[in-house]
Amino acid sequence: METYDAVVIGAGNGGLTASATLARKGLNVLLLERHNIPGGAATSFCRGRFEFEVALHQLSGIGTNEKPGPLRMLLDKIGVMDKLEFVPMDDLYRVVVPGEVDITLKPDRNQIVKELQLLFPKEKEGIEKFFDLVWKVFSEVIGVFYFKDPEVSREKYPHFFQYVLKNLQEVFDQCFTDPVLKTIVSPYWTYMGLPPSSLAFVDMAAMLFVYTEFLPYHVKGGSQALSNALADTVLSNGGTIRFNCGVKKIIVENDKIKGVVTENGDEVKTRFVISNASKISTYIDLMEPEHVPQKISDELKQSTLGQSAFTLYLGLNCPPEKVGLNASTNFLIGDTDPDRIYERMQQREIGEEDGMLLTCYDLIDNSFSPKGCSQIALVTLKYGDCWLSVPPEEYAKEKFRVADSMLSAAEKIHPGIRDHIEEMEIATPLTHMRYLGHPKGSIYGFDSYLRNSMFFISNRSDIKGLYNTGGWYGSSGFQPTLESGVKAAKALIREFSAQQEGVK
Amino acid sequence: MKKEMIEQIDGYGDIIREIDVSRKFGSAFKDEKGKVKDYISHLHPSRIQMRVLDIIDETGSTRTFRLVPEDAPLPPFIAGQYITVFVETGGIRTARPYSISSAPNQRGYYEITIRRVPEGLVSGFFLEKVKTGDVIQTSGPQGFFYYNPVIHEKKVICIAGGSGITPFMSMIREVVECGLDKEIRLIYGNRSVDDIIFHRELTRISEQFDNISYIPVLEIPPEDYSGKQGFITGDIIREVTGNTLDKTFFLCGPPAMYDFCLPELEKLSIPRKRLKKEMYGAPENIWEYPGWPEGLSQDETFSVIVNNGKPFKARAGEPLIKALEKNGVLIPSLCRSGECSMCRVKITAGKVFQPPGVPVRTSDKVFGYVHACVSFPVTDMNIHI
Ligand SMILES: Cc1cc2nc3c(=O)[nH]c(=O)nc-3n(C[C@H](O)[C@H](O)[C@H](O)COP(=O)(O)OP(=O)(O)OC[C@H]3O[C@@H](n4cnc5c(N)ncnc54)[C@H](O)[C@@H]3O)c2cc1C
Ligand SMILES: Cc1cc2nc3c(=O)[nH]c(=O)nc-3n(C[C@H](O)[C@H](O)[C@H](O)COP(=O)(O)OP(=O)(O)OC[C@H]3O[C@@H](n4cnc5c(N)ncnc54)[C@H](O)[C@@H]3O)c2cc1C
Ligand code: FES
Repeated sequence: METYDAVVIGAGNGGLTASATLARKGLNVLLLERHNIPGGAATSFCRGRFEFEVALHQLSGIGTNEKPGPLRMLLDKIGVMDKLEFVPMDDLYRVVVPGEVDITLKPDRNQIVKELQLLFPKEKEGIEKFFDLVWKVFSEVIGVFYFKDPEVSREKYPHFFQYVLKNLQEVFDQCFTDPVLKTIVSPYWTYMGLPPSSLAFVDMAAMLFVYTEFLPYHVKGGSQALSNALADTVLSNGGTIRFNCGVKKIIVENDKIKGVVTENGDEVKTRFVISNASKISTYIDLMEPEHVPQKISDELKQSTLGQSAFTLYLGLNCPPEKVGLNASTNFLIGDTDPDRIYERMQQREIGEEDGMLLTCYDLIDNSFSPKGCSQIALVTLKYGDCWLSVPPEEYAKEKFRVADSMLSAAEKIHPGIRDHIEEMEIATPLTHMRYLGHPKGSIYGFDSYLRNSMFFISNRSDIKGLYNTGGWYGSSGFQPTLESGVKAAKALIREFSAQQEGVK
Repeated sequence: MKKEMIEQIDGYGDIIREIDVSRKFGSAFKDEKGKVKDYISHLHPSRIQMRVLDIIDETGSTRTFRLVPEDAPLPPFIAGQYITVFVETGGIRTARPYSISSAPNQRGYYEITIRRVPEGLVSGFFLEKVKTGDVIQTSGPQGFFYYNPVIHEKKVICIAGGSGITPFMSMIREVVECGLDKEIRLIYGNRSVDDIIFHRELTRISEQFDNISYIPVLEIPPEDYSGKQGFITGDIIREVTGNTLDKTFFLCGPPAMYDFCLPELEKLSIPRKRLKKEMYGAPENIWEYPGWPEGLSQDETFSVIVNNGKPFKARAGEPLIKALEKNGVLIPSLCRSGECSMCRVKITAGKVFQPPGVPVRTSDKVFGYVHACVSFPVTDMNIHI
């Protein structure tokens, strides 16, 4: 039987940084992945002469050489920074509400405030106040969590104590009333999945702060380049990666990890496992019910499944300007009431009244598509249930039908896209389920209600030797999941070293 | 942050109450056990056990195999897709893709139609060895060679060569059996009348249905033949097509047909967005491709080491995947044409030759990954799988 110091289940962002960190520390690590390529959501695929980016729209936390962000420092430490080329985006994002507004914000706080004040003179003070709160609250969060201040107090962190458990709507109501203004400052709610009425204010503050201070980025070669670089680090440090090799069981005895069993039936011995599989899959699919700690069952009970997505990947045989695109990140929003948009995420239909994100990298990276061509990713969030209920024989037809209506809706703002489509691929919640192995195709893990935040859920397992990483155990998104892998690996290494010491 | 401090945050109590309620009514997701696998296997099973229900002689060298599933119902497919069959023959475990020739509305079986290729390992195995009642293993339906109603024109020109007729057979059968609002004109090239697969059925359908036309093209026509002759030229395509602007073109056949037909289509200035071409395996004459190392014979052999194991020899003119399979190294494969990336392997030392246009991811190229089914060894090499 094979034996490893540690086994990592899943080569998503979290599994990759975890494996890389373990391998660099000299542990004999085995990374097992169901799919034939590393990355999980952080991947790409080819159709015709195009290579489509699957998930990465805006990478956060990179920053510049002079003012490096946390992710740049992390990737540097793992040793992949020099294998990658990062391109900053000139724009924070563009928001279009047909008939109301079409505005592109730059990643610069002062400029955003000024521009919004010009557009909404009546809300001048509220705008100032909102951005002030965003920066104050998040700066205090950094003090408390990143710098781990040992003496946290209400006096020292007043905004933290006042705002960190409020939802975005409450803060909006303190600052301004115009629904269009609210729409312009909050399209990022779709990066978390909950509308302002239930999204934590601090989550929105985090995104606005991090993307503005450290700029949104794109990676040349797409997120697959990042995944490949991390996989390369695992290999070159003596780690082993096995693709097309899912894990079907985690062996637990007396609340301790003993090993894993792969889909092929091979048993691997180990005392340490880091799971990048979903929390549900880890505890419900891979483990016998009697081994699941009560604490985890309780945590699961207070959690609900987050959205999946419906995405059109379009390869166009023309430059982006030809269909009126000048910004790389475009939120096309058909309704200034986010609660209505959110409700429609329960149904398959996609129309003009929905919100969608249209990304086009070619505007900042001219090597992204073949010469004279461009590609668009058009995404909207959808809960998985409405797609799981489609009978298999109707599935393809339904996919084309919804794609068609989504395209028509986008064409109301950018006419002519359809005439230029050379390649098209459609991803539904089932597609995400197939490639990520996550229940109902959820791409962000659980709904990110405050009750599921790190203040209330530790995610720490009572099973000795079991660690977790990825979007199901804390925040989702590239930066958080990449960070979570390193964190899990470090915790594992501490325990591993302690045991080694004990043996000596 | 310490728990006592967290408790002092404004709004803490409200959320604790919310947690109590949600734990009372929430689910621990126990009923999700096995669900992901279930759903996926309905649409995309990775393996299907199939029994050969029937074998139908089509031509002297071609047979149709009707396959029924041993256990679960068959997953639906889109006309034009293929399945990969996994076989062991002559001591070699290997796989080959075959387009499904039956219509997608036939939910009880898939048919594949296989033409014998000279010296062909798997086609030979099927034509000589496979009998009704045998059980074979296949993949689920794969591939992207299908009609997309969102972007394709309703009028379709299908150009087929030899066994490349199979995906079109599925499309045509679906259109007539389901009464779809589509028009198909099929240009079908073969050497001689005896080589035409589905000749009778195609003739009958085209006579019966106004929206299907069938234009055979024969290299060696019989005496009294009045149809199209020679290869499928731009002139023939233009004559059949008429106005090219409102039509989408589908192309399927052996690489040699593409080498001839693509330049002909270029003369008609069909943009790529209205031209879809099925892959059909690795080039058979890779050494004739531009960029092939000067003076390197296709029969030259090189030493290959996999994962620091025992070295073996691989022939320059043969795709790496075949050398690996002959030496008992199993790597997964589906399309065997460079498209699906299943056979992705890392070259850690040495070099391969790849035909132009193989869709390998940009960063895979940077990190030394290739698709073994369309990579030809041109030096000694080490591979990591
Ligand atoms: C369409 C889309 C758009 C997105 N846009 C952005 C964006 O713009 N910015 C951003 O920051 N984030 C974005 N995200 C989110 C981001 O991609 C994810 O949060 C992140 O990639 C998740 O990483 P992870 O570590 O949780 O692993 P995942 O990517 O979820 O991967 C899990 C891995 O585990 C494997 N696995 C599961 N079960 C098993 C098993 N039993 N055995 C072996 N392997 C197993 C899976 O195959 C997979 O490879 C987007 C996601 C999607 C899908
Ligand atoms: C997507 C796809 C769909 C396909 N659908 C069909 C189908 O419906 N029906 C069908 O019969 N085949 C089909 N093929 C081809 C099929 O997969 C095999 O390539 C073919 O059966 C030869 O395999 P083999 O093992 O018999 O020959 P091999 O042992 O692989 O090859 C033996 C020799 O024949 C040469 N050769 C390989 N293929 C051909 C060819 N097509 N014509 C001439 N020489 C060749 C090789 O270069 C080699 O020298 C399809 C291929 C693809 C990629
Ligand atoms: S088998 Fe599909 S790329 Fe090689």
